[in-house]
Parts: sequence; structure tokens; C-alpha cells
Amino acid sequence: MTGSLQNLSGLDRVIHEPARLMLVALLSSVKSADFLFLLKESDLTKGNLSVHLSRLEEAGYVQTEKTFRGKIPHTEYRLTPKGKSAFDGYRKSLGSIFNAKKA
Amino acid sequence: MDVQIDAAIKRARGYWFVDGFTEMAAGGWFVLLAGILLVSGNAPQATFPTWFLSFAGEIAIAKFVGILAVILILWWLKDNFTYPRTGLVRGNRVTAAQVLIMIRNAILFLLLPILGLLAASLLIVSAGSVLSSMPAWFPVGVGFIWAVMCVLAGEWMGLRRFRLLGAMILLTGMAVGIRQFAMGLPALPANVGTGTLQPLVLESINRTLTSLALLVLVSGVILMLSGLITFLRYRKENPTPYTEDV
Repeated sequence: MTGSLQNLSGLDRVIHEPARLMLVALLSSVKSADFLFLLKESDLTKGNLSVHLSRLEEAGYVQTEKTFRGKIPHTEYRLTPKGKSAFDGYRKSLGSIFNAKKA
Repeated sequence: MDVQIDAAIKRARGYWFVDGFTEMAAGGWFVLLAGILLVSGNAPQATFPTWFLSFAGEIAIAKFVGILAVILILWWLKDNFTYPRTGLVRGNRVTAAQVLIMIRNAILFLLLPILGLLAASLLIVSAGSVLSSMPAWFPVGVGFIWAVMCVLAGEWMGLRRFRLLGAMILLTGMAVGIRQFAMGLPALPANVGTGTLQPLVLESINRTLTSLALLVLVSGVILMLSGLITFLRYRKENPTPYTEDV
């Protein structure tokens, strides 16, 4: 197995899923974002978004904070340091795979 | 794939500008600053040092109070209009190290070339020429710096309208400079004496302040218009608040 293919098999599967990758990317450049922002930006259904966020939370990549704004429930999500390093690692791996293919 | 990831990152970064409120508020603040510059920016010859100190104080207070007021107004507007429609995003806190890097980059990419050009022009022409032509080159220089900042910020946040804003601010600076040049510049002697303030130097300072006020005023109006267009589009796309019921 060549180096680039070894990188491919070593990709983080939690982040590799396109919807979760989009969510992690959105959260990577901000301190936190709420459910509504992620829903609007990702174009996922509420159910789908909840499932993907739960998966990220289980992996320890995302931290959740539930509060109320008046009487309306409000959930904010932030990327944990583990999530940030996993995202950085994923981007590097992906970059090295494409660079190896070009070379 | 990487392009899409970058686009998502930039969208989140530029969320503060999604509704046009930030540009409208910044534009309003610019117009207020221009008003102060136009009303108070007429230096008297006899009491120049005292005037200068009081004028600098006025501008500093207007900046501090203005920025504070703009932030409070923006928080209120976003809390009541934007967040219920498209959600809440909290930006990353800027660390001291990041501020230092930003200052270093600003010095390297903006101030050093400008200071270099100024020093070179002083070697080629006299101090008097640089001072007498200040009403013309100053707005062009400031317009250029703002335009570069606008375009860089736009690229960082993936907001293409900031390119247009930058171009319009640059053109405004150039137009103000050309207008001052066409009006005729004060003819100062090659060696400007120190100590007493010559009437022609004073004229140059006053006309520079007027140029700056015009640039700030037009830039403020441009920002307000851009914000208004963005706001109208945002309101059309998000007419009603959304309720999270998960």
C-alpha cells in the first residue's frame, strides 16, 4: 500500500462524512453557534442535524450548551480542542493525499 | 471538497455582516465623524496648539463613545432581528498574540511602503512641496489603505461586495484628491520654517482636514447604502423569525 493510500484509510471517519465535515468546518472558525445557524447553513433537516451533532458529541468533538432565551429553548455548539485538532488533522491528511496524487 | 470547506469557514466568519446592520452602523458612525471634522476642523492660526489638543480630544471621545454606541445598537438589533431568523454565532476571542500579529502585518504591508514612499518623496522634493500637496495626496493615501483593508477583510470572510466597497472608497479618495489638486494647492516655500505657523501651512492643514472629512462622509454613505441593500435582501430571504423546537 502506498503512503497516500495509507493516509486515505487513516482518515477520521467521524469527520469524513460530508454533513459532519460541513458542521465541523462551520464551527471551526467561531467560538460557538446555535442549532438554528447550523440548520440554515447546512441545509439538513432538523432530525438529520440532531443525529450528526449527537455523533460529533459522542466522539468528543463538539460540546453542547442548552439554555433558554425567554421561553424558547436554545442550544449552542462549540468545537472542543479534540475536535479542532481532529479537523486540522483531517485537512492535513486530505491535503497530503491530493498532493501525493499530483506528484 | 477543500473549496467547500473553506467556503463554510468563511461563511461563519462573515456572519457578523450577514444582515447589513454592521455596515449601516459603521456608515452612520463615519457620517458623524465627518460632521465633527467639518464643523470643528478649522484650525485658527493664533491658538493652533490649544485648538489641536482640544480637536484631537473631541475626535478621540467621538471615536470611543461612537464605537461603544454602535456595538450596543448592533447587539440589540441582532438579538431582536437576526438571531431569531438565522441563528446566533459567537465569534472567536482575539488573543493578545493575534493582535500583535495583526499590528505587525499592518506595519509591514501598509505603513512601511507608505512611509517609504513619503521618505522617498521628501528626498526628491522639498518638505514644503509635500506639505502643500497634502490636501491632495492624503485622501488618496487614506482611501488606498481603507480600500486594501476592505478587500482583505472581504477575502477573509468570503464577502465579494467588500471588493466593490474597497474600489468605491479608493475612487472616492482619488476624486477628493483630484478635486483639491484642481482647486490649486497652497504654494509653500521649499524650507518650511519651524516655530511660527505660516498661514499657508495652516491653509494646507485645514484643506487636508476638509478632504479627510469628505472622504469619511462619502465612505460612510457608501457603507450605509451597502448595508441597506444587504439588509433588504436579508429581510426578503428571512421574512419571519424561526422557532427552535428540538
